[in-house]
Amino acid sequence: MKRPPIYGLLAEFDTPTELVTAVRKARAAGYRVMDAYSPFPIEELAEALHFHDRRLSMIVLGGGITGGLVGYLLQYWTSVVEYPLNIGGRPLHSWPSFIPVTFETTVLFAALSAVLGMLALNGLPMPYHPVFNVPRFALASRDQFFLCIEAVDPHFDREITRRFLERLDPQSIAEVAH
Amino acid sequence: MSTPVLEARRDSRPPVIAPGHTFETVTDRISRVVLRRGTPRGWIVGFALSFCLMMVLFYSVAALLFRGIGIWGINQPVEWGFDIVNFVWWIGIGHAGTLISAILLLLKQEWRTSINRFAEAMTLFAVACAGLYPVLHLGRPWLAYWLFPYPNTMGMWPQFRSPLIWDVFAVSTYLTVSLMFWFVGLIPDLATLRDRSPSRIGRGVYGILAMGWRGSAKHWHRYETAYLLLAGLSTPLVVSVHTIVSFDFAVSVVPGWHATIFPPYFVAGAIYSGFAMVMTLAIPIRKFYNLEDFLTMRHLDNMARVMLATGLIVAYGYMMETFMAWYGGNPYESFMILNRFGGPYAPQYWLLITCNVVIPQVLWFRRVRASIPALFVVSLIVNLGMWLERYIIIVVSLHRDFLPSSWGMYSGSIYDWSMFVGSIGLFLSLLFLFIRYLPMISIFEMRTLVPGAEVKEETP
Amino acid sequence: MARLDPTMPGLHLAPDHVFVRVQRVAGAVGAGAILLCVAGALLNPAAFFRAYLVAYLFWFGIALGSLAILMVQYVTGGAWGAVVRRVLESGTRTLPLMAVLFVPLAFGLPYLYVWARPEVVAHDALLQHQRIYLNVPFFLVRAAFYFAVWITVTHFLNRWSLAQDSRPEPRLERRLEMLSRAGLMLYGLTETFAAIDWAMSLDPHWASTIYGILLMGGQGLAAFAFVIPVAAILARRPPLSRIITPDQFHDLGKLMLAFVMLWAYFSFSQFLIIWSGNLPEEIPWYLRRIQGGWLWVGILLALAHFMLPFVVLLSRDVKRRPRVLALVAGMLIVARFVDIFWLVRPTQGSAGLELHWLDFVTPFAIGGLWLWVFVWQLGTRPLVPVNDPCLPVMEAA
Repeated sequence: MKRPPIYGLLAEFDTPTELVTAVRKARAAGYRVMDAYSPFPIEELAEALHFHDRRLSMIVLGGGITGGLVGYLLQYWTSVVEYPLNIGGRPLHSWPSFIPVTFETTVLFAALSAVLGMLALNGLPMPYHPVFNVPRFALASRDQFFLCIEAVDPHFDREITRRFLERLDPQSIAEVAH
Repeated sequence: MSTPVLEARRDSRPPVIAPGHTFETVTDRISRVVLRRGTPRGWIVGFALSFCLMMVLFYSVAALLFRGIGIWGINQPVEWGFDIVNFVWWIGIGHAGTLISAILLLLKQEWRTSINRFAEAMTLFAVACAGLYPVLHLGRPWLAYWLFPYPNTMGMWPQFRSPLIWDVFAVSTYLTVSLMFWFVGLIPDLATLRDRSPSRIGRGVYGILAMGWRGSAKHWHRYETAYLLLAGLSTPLVVSVHTIVSFDFAVSVVPGWHATIFPPYFVAGAIYSGFAMVMTLAIPIRKFYNLEDFLTMRHLDNMARVMLATGLIVAYGYMMETFMAWYGGNPYESFMILNRFGGPYAPQYWLLITCNVVIPQVLWFRRVRASIPALFVVSLIVNLGMWLERYIIIVVSLHRDFLPSSWGMYSGSIYDWSMFVGSIGLFLSLLFLFIRYLPMISIFEMRTLVPGAEVKEETP
Repeated sequence: MARLDPTMPGLHLAPDHVFVRVQRVAGAVGAGAILLCVAGALLNPAAFFRAYLVAYLFWFGIALGSLAILMVQYVTGGAWGAVVRRVLESGTRTLPLMAVLFVPLAFGLPYLYVWARPEVVAHDALLQHQRIYLNVPFFLVRAAFYFAVWITVTHFLNRWSLAQDSRPEPRLERRLEMLSRAGLMLYGLTETFAAIDWAMSLDPHWASTIYGILLMGGQGLAAFAFVIPVAAILARRPPLSRIITPDQFHDLGKLMLAFVMLWAYFSFSQFLIIWSGNLPEEIPWYLRRIQGGWLWVGILLALAHFMLPFVVLLSRDVKRRPRVLALVAGMLIVARFVDIFWLVRPTQGSAGLELHWLDFVTPFAIGGLWLWVFVWQLGTRPLVPVNDPCLPVMEAA
């Protein structure tokens, strides 16, 4: 009988050290499409997964520059071009007065791009994800550490991969249904 | 592991987390406050009292909308009174949260972890209270959207050479960024609550708010980047907000307002009052919820030190204003100072000096910093002192300015007081709701302080 | 963990170290420049004193800034400060030299300060009002008092730190911290009034309450901008190469960036407030600093003192590479000089930017001497405060 296809295999560990070691070994064994789950950020984990993403910094930089330009040009255009008013004899283009608002819009746009960029790159909000089908995965937000080798990995094989994971001495192994 | 920028010294002071905790106990202990069945009686009583105070605020606002701002004590020549005093006071209090979260994060100070969530929430609620006053002071608050630049049929635009419009941008940016900072910090903990909530509604609500967070290493990586970037952005932002508030006064030419020291002196005062408020709130809460393991004496000691340092900067500000008023030889400036020292508001001035400069000097003593009742009393005194400081700056400068024929006196009306007390009710009500429904200490960050959280490298 | 014995060899500045050569060159250049200065002082005393004050305040800023940063580090802790402690300490031990170099100024007060000219004071109501503060004897007494405070604090900080090398005692640690707390308060007061006396009173009709803080920020920046290149050079060889890591440069770079931003914040706040107020007793101070060539100096400052270093220092990689970071710091040192020049030099009544050849000689005269003393002091003690509790764990030799 053909079993239904699965999303991947999920192994559970007790400590961050075990998880990082497991990820390193899985990498060494040739697995590439996998993800690790932990209740708090672990610097070494991204390194072990060879995962680097510098796009967010660039997005924030772009957001900040845009915000600064928008803020300054808005003030210039409204105060000099569209609605010129003499205020206490100050020049129409009072650049010192325009700095505070320019600063605020720069920060506002940069911060918005940091948050929205982070969510977009992470694909959040995500109403459904297969890993939640494993009951023990609820502990990923408490005290347990998980490694999921996904079925789309070219090296993935239900039996071989399961045996590989067993050798890593996990707390439990579960099949992740789609 | 990265080393802290400050305080890397191996010392004998109390630790930032009591020994014996694991990922499990940290998670359960903090989330229990939110997820427990039934609500403690103390919470109900506290919330009921705050709610009553909040109703006082709502009643006063309704009266104000109905009858106009004439019900306040403001009149020529003192056109700014309690409303602006309270605005500056609240916004100052709202500085500690972002400061603790952002600057101490950049400085890699572990002790921030137990107080940052709580302080950020405090920031949000304080800024919300602050924002109320200038809007109500508009007279026609329902037209507050005129403050924002948008194309309109009147063909008008905001006047960007006025510091009051800078304030609009600064406060709204600050509120937005603080909210995002707070919410981003909450996402992983919302996921924890989602996974642990015993009720269906809880799972649903926390689940929607957690947006499907699953603790993926790739997500954490970007999350950490975003959080650090937000911290880097918030640090200058928090300084800019009170700087711009100080510009409201300083770019004018009113004696007592037009002083170049105002920006750093206002920022220091804001941090001073903000830390005082964090302490005022943290001391009863840690007691009531038995959180002494996470909010240790180390935290209180550090906060007391920050208060002492910022308090001295504020004192420096008073000294420089006085010296320059004499040195500059401007008769209006020197009159303003003499009027503070010996004019009709002299009792308030000397009370301010006592509260802000004299009494906090007891924090030099280690024994005072280790005594919870003493710290609590000092923090209350500083809160009072910082309120008086804004009262003196605003009222004393306005009530006797350049034209003696236009001098006058000011005092708050019953509505000024009811609004002030009511805004404390609003603040506390929001705080009670926060404590009940969201984890007041960042659970995931506390996990990183547990001894087992470090990845041990195998020795080859 | 490998704690080093303070008596072991190799902890001191090696006799063939590049700094020893720097010292020789600095001594020679300084001596030559001093001769030129003496000639200049005889030919044109007014020009000499103006140029001398600028150069003096510049080098003085590094020395006093080092003292402030040293005390801040004792109060707050942090490994970044422990690895450069001996550099900062050597910087503070140049303060006696600065006290000696203050003496020539005492002879030039009427050339520099209008309040020291009785014929001007006689016709100026404000100067008469200020006379009980701005008069020659009291000015000198105050200066003596400031130096007494700074040198006393310096003396004990250095003495206890050296004592710590031979015996690690919590008592000493605690004493250093206590003295630093009190010292920082004294610093805040003395530095403020020194700034008012020596620089702000050049234009006694102008008063700005932020002035002391503005110069404090500048001094802190000067100290970081000086310490970073020195540390980068020292880090190439033992003993510092064994304790200093990119992490410490990263922290130093962050702190330098913080001071760059602080300086811009203080300077812009002062400008915006005075520009907006536009009062007749305040705005001329800025008008003098934007007329003629001075405008370009101001624009140069905005670029080299803030925008360029700010953008470059945002990068994490720059902060972690000692060589690049030292280059940025070097630019900031030059910018510090330009800032002092812009603050101090235009006051004396000239219409535009008028340079005198002495403006270029005095910084080398004082600087040569200062660097000579600095390297001499650096060589007198181990380069690593071996028992410092903030010191990062040392790699085995």
